[in-house]
Amino acid sequence: MEKTIIINIGNTIIHIEESAYERLKAYLNEVKHYFANHADDLEIVTDIENRIAELLTEQLEEQKKQVVDSANVNAVIAQMGRVQDFDTVEEGEEEPVINSTYQHQYVEKKLYRDMDDRVVAGVCAGIAHFVNADPKWIRLATLLISFAGGFGILVYAILWIIMPKAKSRIERMEMKGEPANLQGFQKNLDEELQAVKERLGEVNKHAQPIFARLGIFIGEFFEWLGRFISGTGKVIFKVIAGFIIVFGVLFLLTLIIGTAAFQGFWDASIYEYFPFSIINEGNRGAILFGAFIVCFVPVLALVLFSIRVAFNKQAINKTLSFALLIIWLAGVAITGYQAAKISSEFKQHAELTQTTDLKAYPVYTINIDKSKYFSKEDSVAYHIDANNRHQIVVDDFEDGPFVSPNHIRIDINKSETGVTRLTQKYESQGKTFQSALQNAQNISYNYVMKDSELIFSPRFQLRKGTIWRNQEVRLNLEIPVGTRLLLKQDAYRYVNNYWTWDCNNRENDHNDYSVWIMTDDGLKCVAQLKEEALKKEKLEQELSDLDHLQKDKPNDTLYQDSVSNRIKEVKEELGIAPEE
Amino acid sequence: MIAENTQTQMRKGILEYCVLSIISRGEIYASDIIAELRAAKLLVVEGTLYPLLTRLKNNGLLSYNWVESTSGPPRKYYTLTEDGRGILSQLDQTWQELAYAVGISQKGANS
Repeated sequence: MEKTIIINIGNTIIHIEESAYERLKAYLNEVKHYFANHADDLEIVTDIENRIAELLTEQLEEQKKQVVDSANVNAVIAQMGRVQDFDTVEEGEEEPVINSTYQHQYVEKKLYRDMDDRVVAGVCAGIAHFVNADPKWIRLATLLISFAGGFGILVYAILWIIMPKAKSRIERMEMKGEPANLQGFQKNLDEELQAVKERLGEVNKHAQPIFARLGIFIGEFFEWLGRFISGTGKVIFKVIAGFIIVFGVLFLLTLIIGTAAFQGFWDASIYEYFPFSIINEGNRGAILFGAFIVCFVPVLALVLFSIRVAFNKQAINKTLSFALLIIWLAGVAITGYQAAKISSEFKQHAELTQTTDLKAYPVYTINIDKSKYFSKEDSVAYHIDANNRHQIVVDDFEDGPFVSPNHIRIDINKSETGVTRLTQKYESQGKTFQSALQNAQNISYNYVMKDSELIFSPRFQLRKGTIWRNQEVRLNLEIPVGTRLLLKQDAYRYVNNYWTWDCNNRENDHNDYSVWIMTDDGLKCVAQLKEEALKKEKLEQELSDLDHLQKDKPNDTLYQDSVSNRIKEVKEELGIAPEE
Repeated sequence: MIAENTQTQMRKGILEYCVLSIISRGEIYASDIIAELRAAKLLVVEGTLYPLLTRLKNNGLLSYNWVESTSGPPRKYYTLTEDGRGILSQLDQTWQELAYAVGISQKGANS
C-alpha cells in the first residue's frame, strides 16, 4: 500500500504514488532550474510538462493501471532526458547573449551578506568570501576600526544597508564564486523552487529603492537585537536574575521576620513609634497582614520571574501565579480599606482649652524643662527617679524618624485685661467630634510655675492607649503691657508668633536669654528698643544741630541745599513727615 | 574526448537542419520528430527538442497548431513557415556544399 497523490500536470489529472511524485517533482524542478535563464523558459517548461502528462497517460493506458508509480516516472525521465543530457545539444548554441551573462554571473563573485556564517548581519563573512579571506580577520579589522571613534560601526551599518543578503542557493554560490553546478540542486526542493522565483524577480530586487533597503535594515537590526538579547545578552540577564534571586530571597526572609516582630512575637512596642502609632489596636493585625501581602507578593513574583530567566524553567504554573495575583489584590484591598478607615478617624476636629490666671510679676522667665519625659513604667525600667532633680536625662529636642509630632507651640500676646493668663489649648482629630474630644482629653501636658519662672516641658504626652490623631498643644500666654519677659534660649524654638532669634542681648552676647517687654504694639525686644532709642536720640541731636546750621550763610544756595537735604533725610529716618 | 567533442559539434551542426527537414515533410508532433531523430541516431532525449523548437518558432521558421489528442491534452503540431522554407532551401544548398566538401576531402579532387 502506498499513499497516492492527485496532481494536475499539463491540465491532466493524474494519480501518482508519493515516492513517484517526489521523483517527478525533483525532475521538474531540475528542468525549471535549467531553463530559468532561458528567454522562453515558461513555454519550454509547459511543453515538457504537457509531454510528461501525455507520456504518463499513455503508460497508464498501456499498462491498464490507474496510478503512476516510480517505474513510470523513471521511464518518462529516461525518454525526456536528464538536464545533464540537455547540455550536449544546446550548449553554446542557445541565445548567446543571455547564456553568456548566465555564465558570467556564475563565475564572477558577488557581494552578498552571508546569513549562514554571521555574527551580526553577515557583512564581514560576505566581504571575506568576496576577497577570499578568513572571516575572522575581516571581523577583527572591523572591530579595530570600530574602536576608532565608531567609524567601523558606521561603515558596517552602511554595508548592512547596501549589501543584499544571500537568500537563495544561487546567490550563495555567487557569493562564494562557485560555478553553476546543477547537481548541487538536489535536496530541499521547496528552497530550490523559491530560488528560481527569486532569480526571475532579480531585476526588481536590484532596483529596490533605498527606502525599502532601509526598511529591511531596520527590520533586520531589531531581529539581530532580539537574537543578541536572547544570545549574548542572555548571559547578562541571567547574572542580573541571579542577583535578584539572592537579594529577593533575603528581602522576603527579612519581611517575614519583620512581620513576625510587628505581630508581637517579640515586642509590641513598635506601635508606640510614629507612624505605626496611628494604627488602632484592633486593626493592627489586619493592616499588618495586608501590608505584608502587598510587599511580599510582588517580590516573590520578581524572584520567580528571575528564576525563570536564570534557569529557563517555569517555577510555578499559571494557576498558581494567577492565585498569587488574586492574593496580592486582596492584600491591596485590605490595606486600602484599613488606610481609609484610619484616615476617616482624622475627619473631625475638637479643641479643649484650659485657662489659668497667673500671679502678677513685673518680670516673667520662660524656660523649658530639659529633662526627658519618662512614663512611670519607663522610670522604673531605666531606674530613674523622676523627682530627683539632680539626676536628669537631657532631652535633645531633636525628633527622630519614629517620633510622633508632639511639640508644643507658645503664642505670646498682649493681655487686654491686665491679668497674666495662660491658656492651654488641646486639639485633636477623630472620627466623630466626641472621639476627637476624647483624644484631646487624653493629652497629658505639664508646666511648672516657680515664683515668676514658667517652666514648660517641650513635649506633650498621650495617655496610655491613646493613638496619634494629630494631637496638638498650643499655649497662649497673655501678659499686660509693661511686663517684661526673660526668654531662655531653649524656649526660642517653641515661640510661635515671634521670631525670637534676632533679639540677643547685644552688649553681652554670652547670655543664654533675651529680654522682652510687652508694649501696646506687642512684644518688643528690649535690647532692640534700646538701640532704636539711642539712634533716635542721635538723629534728634543732629536735627537740632542742622537747624542751627541752616541759620548760617543764608546767601549760599549750595550750602543751604545740602543742609536742607540732610534735614529731610534725618526727618525721614525719624519718621517725621516732611513739612510741605 | 576530442573525438567525442567533435562528434557532438557535428551532430549539433546538422540537428537544426534535420529538424527543419523532418517538419518540411508535413505537420508533425514533437514526439514524432523525436522518434525520427532517434531512428536517425541523432538525438536520444526528448527534453532537448523543446528549447530548439521554441527557438525556431520564435525566429519565425516554425508555427504550430493545437490539435486535439485521444490520449491526453491537446498537442502542438509544428509546420514550416515561408521563412522556414526559405531557410531550409538555403540549408539544403549548404548541405550539398558540405557533402561535396567532405567527399572531396575524403577521395581527392581528381577521382
